[in-house]
Amino acid sequence: MHVKKYWWVPILVIPAVLPPFVLSQYWLHVMIISLFYVMMAASWNLLAGYTGQVSFAHAAFCGVGAYFSGMLAVFLGLTPWLGILAGMGLAALLGFGLGYLCIRMGGIYLSLTTLGFSEILRIVITNEEKWTRGTMGLQTPGLFAEYSKTHYYFVFLVAAAVMLVFIRRLIRSEWGLTFRAVLNDEVAASASGINTIRVRVLAFALTSAMAGLAGGLYGHYLMLVTPDIPSLGQMFLVLAMAVIGGMGSFAGPIIGSFVLEILSEYIRVYGEYHVLLFGLVALAVSRFAPEGIMGTWAKMRRSP
Amino acid sequence: MSTILEGKSLTKSFGGLTAVREVDFNLKEGEIVGLIGPNGAGKTTLFNLISGVFPSDTGSLRFNGREIQGLRSYEICRLGIARTFQIVRPFLKMNCLENVLVGIVGRGEKGARKKEEKRDEARELLKFIGLAGEENRLAQNLTLIQKKRLEMARALATRPRVILLDEVLAGLNPSEMRQALELIAIIRRERKITIFWIEHVMGAIMKGSDRIIVLDQGKKIREGKPGEVVSDPRVIEAYLGDANA
Repeated sequence: MHVKKYWWVPILVIPAVLPPFVLSQYWLHVMIISLFYVMMAASWNLLAGYTGQVSFAHAAFCGVGAYFSGMLAVFLGLTPWLGILAGMGLAALLGFGLGYLCIRMGGIYLSLTTLGFSEILRIVITNEEKWTRGTMGLQTPGLFAEYSKTHYYFVFLVAAAVMLVFIRRLIRSEWGLTFRAVLNDEVAASASGINTIRVRVLAFALTSAMAGLAGGLYGHYLMLVTPDIPSLGQMFLVLAMAVIGGMGSFAGPIIGSFVLEILSEYIRVYGEYHVLLFGLVALAVSRFAPEGIMGTWAKMRRSP
Repeated sequence: MSTILEGKSLTKSFGGLTAVREVDFNLKEGEIVGLIGPNGAGKTTLFNLISGVFPSDTGSLRFNGREIQGLRSYEICRLGIARTFQIVRPFLKMNCLENVLVGIVGRGEKGARKKEEKRDEARELLKFIGLAGEENRLAQNLTLIQKKRLEMARALATRPRVILLDEVLAGLNPSEMRQALELIAIIRRERKITIFWIEHVMGAIMKGSDRIIVLDQGKKIREGKPGEVVSDPRVIEAYLGDANA
């Protein structure tokens, strides 16, 4: 059949299934966290890099997924698998609402509104100790009866792969075309028959659901959900990954997530300063190589 | 010839400034009508009202007998009114083929047509407009006239019955102007599209239009055949100032 077309499948699949068999538990953990960030950065990139809505609420929606699923498990005894789906649903709903609120906004106004939403949510979570255990963190059950990093690795791998395939198909479809039209020029897109409000709100709801999924899985992996998940520090890390990897490209956020997550393991000794460092690098990248690692690589290939 | 687009006492104010004041106009099917007036007369505002960039404060706007005042931009486009912009607005970071595809997708047709069919249609439009072979070029790398052509191709891709052209000739050299005028004539002849156009190049718009509407300070001051309009003292005054002043 299409044998020729799928030559790349083993090249991707073999290194992807290897880690649990060759890496130490510690590095396997790093890989799982990297896959979490792949989901976060790729979905944020779909919103910011493809429709131009630079939202600062992505980590907040991740927190919605983590907390909602965790709370359903703790208070109602719901199985985490269903809880994660519910968390995705709630994140999508809130994303739809926030997206709708922002339809007349662009640029920095949208960023500020979403930043406000994010902080409000974090403060509510920190203070509603009865439900969230505040800064102590909410202890949540794991996904499996028996704890195994290998199992978690494959869950994260499958989730990230499914999400990436979905994103890839979306950006190559007519929806992707309309996303980019809205990014390029909203007035012209609207004058060409594109329902720009629908595009923007849909992108918001969809990417929020993806962040909710990533958050739900993350929470049940760490088995402790804290206000650090929906924090701005987390948000800027995701932003840095997408920007350094290359916004508006499919592979950029994937590469950025792995590079930054692995790098941060080496500079962990400097504590929170590593986020500061990534912030500075992201600034430099957006100033000197606005298309990130992917864009710079593509440029170098074109002009040897 | 039946009326296809009709505006009645359209008014639009921005704060204290009334950009368009009680303007009536109508376009008959297949006509080409010029809209002229000095800078700030409200020409582009009138186009923005028709294409739904913003709603008018009062008045009505009927397309094909249907009230379209208050509809959103994309809805008006889907009914059959397309436009180009005074300052060109192609999708700069998309290639030519994708630019035209947006217009095709923008028709919002129900029922799945093959992706390849749409691409073929886009290629054909690019050829028609004179951009054959530029399919994969990013719009930001085109020259001004090419960008204008691309914008026209995107507008045509929405299958309009009326097209609003906002200063397509501005910034073009004489030979490019001739090409653009030819293109407008072909669009009208072959595609039977009604044209409403704003232009500052008097020779071109007088020669190319069936009728001319003149705006000054938001008001319609004259309407008629090109020959009658240019000799009207009110029009000359609007453009050149009062001779007795």
